[in-house]
Amino acid sequence: MSGTHGTPKTASGDTGQDRERDAALAAVTRTARELIPEAGVITDHMRLRTYECDGLAHYKVTPGLVVIPETPEQLAGVIGACAEHRLPYVARGSGTGLSGGALPRADGVLVVTSRLRAIREIRREDQRAVVEPGVINLDVTKAATPYGYYYAPDPSSQQICSIGGNLAENSGGAHCLKYGFTSNHVVGAELVAPDGSVVQLGGTAPDSPGYDLLGAVVGSEGTLGIATAVTVRLVRLPEEVRTLLVGFKTTDQAGAATSAIISAGIVPAAIEMMDALAIEAAEAAVHCNYPADAGAVLVIELDGAAVEVEGEYTKVERLCNEHNAFEIRVARDPVDRALIWKGRKSAFAAVGRISPDYIVQDGVIPRTALPEVLKAIADLSTESGVRVANVFHAGDGNLHPLVLFDDSVEGAGEAAEKVSGAILDLCIGHGGSITGEHGVGIDKAAYMPRMFTDEDLDTMQLIRCAFDPVGISNPGKIFPTPRLCGEVPGRHKGAHPLQEAGLAEVF
Amino acid sequence: MTAEKETAPLVDLGVPIPGGAFDEHRPPDAALVGDCVHCGFCLPTCPTYLLWGEEMDSPRGRIYLMKEGLEGEPMSDSMVSHWDACLGCMACVTACPSGVQYDRLIESTRAQVERRHQRTAKDKALRALIFSIFPHPRRLRLLRGPLRGMQRTGLDRLLRRTGLLDRVSPQLAAMERLAPRLGRAERLPEHLPASGPRRAVVGLLTGCVQGAFFPGVNAATARVLQAEGCDVVVPPRQGCCGALSVHNGREAEALTYARALIEAFESSGVERVVVNAAGCGSTMKEYADLLADDPAYAERARAFQEKVRDVTEVLVELGPVAPRHPLEVTVAYHDACHLAHAQGVRSQPRELLGAIPGLELREIAEPELCCGSAGIYNILNPEPARELGDRKAGNIVATGARLLVTANPGCLMQVTAAIERSGHPMGMAHTIEVLDASIRGTSLSGPPHKGD
Amino acid sequence: MPTTSTVDGTARAAVVSACEDVHDAGEADHVDGVPVALVARPTSTAQVSEVMRAGSAHGLTVVAAGRRTKLTWGRPPTSADVLLDLSGLDQVVEHAAGDLIVVTQAGARLSHLQEALAKEGQLLAVDETVPGSSVGGTLAAATSGPGRVQAGTLRDLLIGLTVVRADGVVAKAGGRVVKNVAGYDVGKLVTGSFGTLAVVTEALFRLHPLPATRRWVTVPFDNPAEAYRLAQSVVHAQCVAQAVEVDWPAEGPGTLGVLLAGIEDGVAGRASAVLDLLGGDAREDGSAPDGWAAYPWDVSATGDDRSTALKLTFALSGLPDVLEATRHTQAPVALRGSAGAGVVYAALPSGTDVAEIAAAVDALRTVCMRHEGSLVVLDASAAVKDAIDTWGPIPAIDLMRRVKDQFDPDHRLAPGRFVGGI
Repeated sequence: MSGTHGTPKTASGDTGQDRERDAALAAVTRTARELIPEAGVITDHMRLRTYECDGLAHYKVTPGLVVIPETPEQLAGVIGACAEHRLPYVARGSGTGLSGGALPRADGVLVVTSRLRAIREIRREDQRAVVEPGVINLDVTKAATPYGYYYAPDPSSQQICSIGGNLAENSGGAHCLKYGFTSNHVVGAELVAPDGSVVQLGGTAPDSPGYDLLGAVVGSEGTLGIATAVTVRLVRLPEEVRTLLVGFKTTDQAGAATSAIISAGIVPAAIEMMDALAIEAAEAAVHCNYPADAGAVLVIELDGAAVEVEGEYTKVERLCNEHNAFEIRVARDPVDRALIWKGRKSAFAAVGRISPDYIVQDGVIPRTALPEVLKAIADLSTESGVRVANVFHAGDGNLHPLVLFDDSVEGAGEAAEKVSGAILDLCIGHGGSITGEHGVGIDKAAYMPRMFTDEDLDTMQLIRCAFDPVGISNPGKIFPTPRLCGEVPGRHKGAHPLQEAGLAEVF
Repeated sequence: MTAEKETAPLVDLGVPIPGGAFDEHRPPDAALVGDCVHCGFCLPTCPTYLLWGEEMDSPRGRIYLMKEGLEGEPMSDSMVSHWDACLGCMACVTACPSGVQYDRLIESTRAQVERRHQRTAKDKALRALIFSIFPHPRRLRLLRGPLRGMQRTGLDRLLRRTGLLDRVSPQLAAMERLAPRLGRAERLPEHLPASGPRRAVVGLLTGCVQGAFFPGVNAATARVLQAEGCDVVVPPRQGCCGALSVHNGREAEALTYARALIEAFESSGVERVVVNAAGCGSTMKEYADLLADDPAYAERARAFQEKVRDVTEVLVELGPVAPRHPLEVTVAYHDACHLAHAQGVRSQPRELLGAIPGLELREIAEPELCCGSAGIYNILNPEPARELGDRKAGNIVATGARLLVTANPGCLMQVTAAIERSGHPMGMAHTIEVLDASIRGTSLSGPPHKGD
Repeated sequence: MPTTSTVDGTARAAVVSACEDVHDAGEADHVDGVPVALVARPTSTAQVSEVMRAGSAHGLTVVAAGRRTKLTWGRPPTSADVLLDLSGLDQVVEHAAGDLIVVTQAGARLSHLQEALAKEGQLLAVDETVPGSSVGGTLAAATSGPGRVQAGTLRDLLIGLTVVRADGVVAKAGGRVVKNVAGYDVGKLVTGSFGTLAVVTEALFRLHPLPATRRWVTVPFDNPAEAYRLAQSVVHAQCVAQAVEVDWPAEGPGTLGVLLAGIEDGVAGRASAVLDLLGGDAREDGSAPDGWAAYPWDVSATGDDRSTALKLTFALSGLPDVLEATRHTQAPVALRGSAGAGVVYAALPSGTDVAEIAAAVDALRTVCMRHEGSLVVLDASAAVKDAIDTWGPIPAIDLMRRVKDQFDPDHRLAPGRFVGGI
C-alpha cells in the first residue's frame, strides 16, 4: 500500500519510557543549543510542524526537535549526542523525497542539511567536485558548466533536491539510461556514522581498497549515517545535444519505437514517455505545446560527439517513422530544449491541475514487458474507475503511474490505493522492482516482503547492524521488521520500534 | 474541495476552525491551500529560503503555516514573523507547477494579521509612520524640501558616516539610505495631446513615490506616449493606488484608495490606464478581486481593471511609430518582481529596448530573484533586504553593462543603494526614460540617477 | 577462529554429504602456498549452501575459487580447510537481449559469457584482463581494464546477485532490472571483497550493445609531462573516448592509446579529431596495440616466478608525478593503465631484490596517497609479500571489520586475505 492519509498517532508507551525519551530529547536539545546558533535549533511547535512531511504529504509526523547545523562538526556533534542518549534521528535535505524517507520521528531529532550548502571545490583537471550535502543538484551543474563540465544525474526535481538526498536515495533521473545513477557518480563521502564518529569512504581516486562501503551507503536512505561532504564525478559537456519530441497515437506504438531504437544498438541519453492524460496535465501547467491529439509522446535525447549524434539521429528518425510517429520535432535551441523538458519534468506536480489528489508510483518492469503492463494498468483503471496518467523512463522500464483521485469523494482514496498497490504487484510479478529511484522509505516498506524473502531482508540488515547496532539512524524506514542486532549493551527497549514510531497502524 | 462536507478532512472545510489563527472574513482560501502538493519547486526561487535555508521561510512552509492556522493553531508571533518575512515577490507563483495562487493567499493572510495580531509598539509606530507618508503624494513632496536640504548640506553623508541613524533605528537608517538624490520637481498638465495622428486616449497614473521622487519618469512617460500617438490624460485628483496597503494587509485602507482611484479615472473617458510603476500596475490589475464584496464598486472595478496596462505593454500593443535614434549603450535590464512575476510582463520591455539601434541588452544572472526592495520590505527588514540587494548588485555589475534599467521606483532605489555600496557606480534609468531619450534623440544622463 | 588446517573425520563426512564432488586436495590446490584439506566442487547454489552449512557446523575455513586465476592475489589466507571450486556453476542462465540483461552463474568463464552475448550483438562491458577468469572471480577481485573510462567497472554493471552466506543462508539482492533502489546494494559491497563476505553463486548484469566499429589512435611519449599533456587533451575533449591508456615499459618510450567505439561515421570523425589533438606522431589503427587490456606482468607465473604486481590509483592530475616516480625507483617498473580513470598497473620483475621492491612500493604508495589515491600489491612472491604492506592504510577499517563480523562472525571466509587482516 502506498499511503494512508492522516497523521500516524504517536505511541502511548508506558510513562517510564516516555520520561526516558523526554529526558533524552531534552539532553540532545541542550547539546544542540551549545553547538548550533539559536536560529538553527527549532522547538516552537508551529515551526516544527512545517517539517512534518517531505515531498510525500500523505504521511505526517511532527518531529521532537529540528536542528539545522551550519558545519559538519555541528552535525556530528548532534549525532554524537543522539548516540549517547540513544535518541533516534532522521536526516532531511530539501524535503522533496517521494517515499517518506525524511518523515520525522516524534521522539527524535530531524537533522536538516539545508545550511550545509557550500560547493567546496570544482576540480576540472580531476573531473571532480566536492560539495556539502545541502547543495542543490542543479547548482553543481551550474558551478561546473563554466569549466565545460556538468553533474550527470538529473532527477526531475533537480532544481531543488539536494545532493545529500540524492545520495541517500540513489536518485536517477531521465538521463540515467546512458549515464547511470547517483551511485555511479558519487566517488567519495565524509560520513557521520550513527555513533557520531566521522569516517572517510571512497575518495577522489577510484577503487579505494577494502569493502565498497560507499556503495552500500548510497541508496541506504539515511539508515547508515549522514554524509557531510560528497565528492562527485563530473562529466564533460557533450559536443552536441539533440532533443526530439515525437508524437504517437498510442503508447503501444511509442513503446515499439523505443524497443526498436534499443535493439538497433543505440543508447540514447534519455527516452521518456508520457501518455495522453499526463500530456494534458503538463500542457495546463507549463504550456509546453506538445503535439496535439498525441496518445503518447516520446522525449528522446541524443548526445555526444557531433558526428556520432548525427548518425544516431538518422537512425532514430527512421525508426520512429517506421513505428507510426505522426510528428517529429527537433529542438532548435536551448530554449526549445528547455521547454520540451519542462513538460516532462513538471508532470508530477502538474497533475495537481487535472486532479485534486494523486499518488505517484515508482515501479520498474523489464522494458520488453512495457506494452503488456501498460495494458494491464489501463484495464485496472477501467475496472476500478480510477484514472491513471503515465509518465516514465521508457528506456529502462521505470514507470511513474500517477493514480488520480478526489479525496473529498468518499472511498476514493482507498480505491486509489488499491490500484496503486495492484500496479506494484504487477511490477513484482514481471520480475521488476517496487522502486526504481524514489526509494522505499516508509511508503513501500510493506512491499519489501513481496519482493524479497526473509533471508534476503535479513542479509541486507546485517549491513545495518554493522553501521547502526543501536538502531537510531532513521529507524522504521525500508525494512518492515527490523532485525535485532545481537547483544546490545545497556537496557533493552522492549517495545517494537515501529510501534514506538507510532507507525504500526499505517500498515 | 471548498464544499463544507462534514466528512471532509480538516483542511477542506471552507470555514476556519474557531480559536485558530484566522476568522471568517476573507481567510486564506482552504482550496488554494490544498492546491499545494508539497513538491518544493518554489524553494529555490524564494529569496528568504535562499538566505536562511529554513522551511518556515519558504512559500511551501508559509502555506503550511496558513494550513495550520486554518486547522485551529493560534496566530502566534512565530507564525506572523514568517509571513512578515515574505517579500511578496511572487517568484514562487512563476515557479509552481501546480498553479498555487500564493499571491492571493499571502494577501488574505496579511490582512488577517493586520486585523488580528497584536504587534509590538515599536513595530506599530514604524508602520504608522510609513503609511502616513508613502501613500500620500503631497506629504512625500513636502519631504523633498528637507531631504534636498539635507543632501545639499551633506548632512545625509554625515548621518551615514556616524551610523547615528542605524543606532536609533535600522529601519529609519534604511529609509535614509534609500532616498534618491533629488533634482528639480515637475508637475504634469492635465491634458497632453498626441504628436501626430491620434491612435488612443490613455490615462496616466502619476503615483506616490514615483511622482514625488522621480517626476522625470512621469514626464518621460507622457512624452513617449504622446510621441506614439496617444492623448494623455493626467487626472489631477488621483491619489495612491493602494498597493503598499494591499501588500501589507491594510485592507480597509487599500479599499478606500482603490475606490478613490477608480473614481478619479472613471470620468476621464480613457481607453487605457497606463502605469509606469510595477507595484502599482500589479495591484490595479487586482481591483476586481479586491472590491468583489462591494456591490457599489465591483463592476466598476472590473471595468477599470480591464483598462490597466503597464506602459511597456501598451506601447507594444500599439506598435511603435515614433522613430528611434541610436543610443550606444550596454544595458542590463532588471525584471521588477511585480512586473515579471505578478503581471507576466517580461518580453515587452526587452522588445522595446532591443529595438533601439545601438543598444545592447544583457541578461542578469538569477533574474527571478528579488532585489530585496519589495515595497517597504527593505525598511521593515533591512538586514535580509541588504543581503539580497548586494546579491542583485553583484549580478548586475557582473554583466559589465554601463546602464541598469528597471521599471519600479522601489527597485531603482534599492539597487542604486546596493550598487553604490559595491563600489562600481553605474548609470540607472527607468525603461521609459531610455525610450524617451531614444525618441527625442537626447543622451542619457550618467551616474548617479537624477530626480528629473 | 579456527587454528587447524586439517579437517577431522566428522567434518570431512559432513562436507562429503553436502556436495557430490569432494576430494582430498593436492599440492596444486593449495592457495598461495597455504595447504588445503578438501576440494569441494558443487554444481548448484543449493549444494554451495550445504557445503557452507557443513563448514559452519564444523568451524571450517573456506576459500571460494572460480577458475583459480587470481587465487594468489591479496594476502595468503591464514587457513584454507576447504577450497570451494565453483567451476561447476558455469551456465549462462538467461540472456534477455531485449532488456539488455544477462543472468549467469558465477563459475562461468567470462569469455564463454561474452561469446554467448555476442550472438545477439551485446557484451558485458568489462575487459578480460586476466585470461580465463570466471565471472565470480572477476567480481571478487573487481578487475577492470581500459574500457572503464566510459563503461564503468563491474560494480556499475552488476544489477543483482545470489549469495550464500558463511552460515549457509542463501540470499538475493537487486533484481532483473537496471533501475532498482529497493533495499541495500549488497552487490556493491560484495564486489571486490575477495570472497570474504559471502560466496556469489549467480550474478545479473546490465549489458551494452556491441559497437559497430572500434579504432585506436596511438602516440609515443618519452617523459611524464608530455604524457600528461597528451592524456589531458583527450580526457577533456568531447570525442567521448572509450579508453585513454598509458603504456610505459621499464625501458624506452611510452605510448598513449585512445580507443574510440561506436557507429562507423561517428568513429571516423572522432578518430580524426583525436589525431589532430595528439599531433604529428599520432597513428590510427583498426586493431588494438600490443598488450591492450592486459596487465603488464605475466598473470600465469607462479611461485617465485611472479612479478610484483601493483595497482596504483590517483586523482587524474597525479599522473605526471606517478609516472615520474616509476622512473626513479631503483628497480625497473613497467607500467600500463588508464590515464582517463586514474588507475594504472605496474610490475617489478621477478628476482628483483626484495629490499628494492619494498622501497619502490613505499615510494609509489606515497605518491599515490599524495594524490588522494592508493597502492595495492595485487600479487608477489612469498618473500616480497612478507616484506611489504599489501593493502596500505584503510581509513574506514573499523567499520569494515564490523561489516565482516556481521556477515562472517567466525571469520571463516578466506581469513587473512583482505584488508586489516580480515
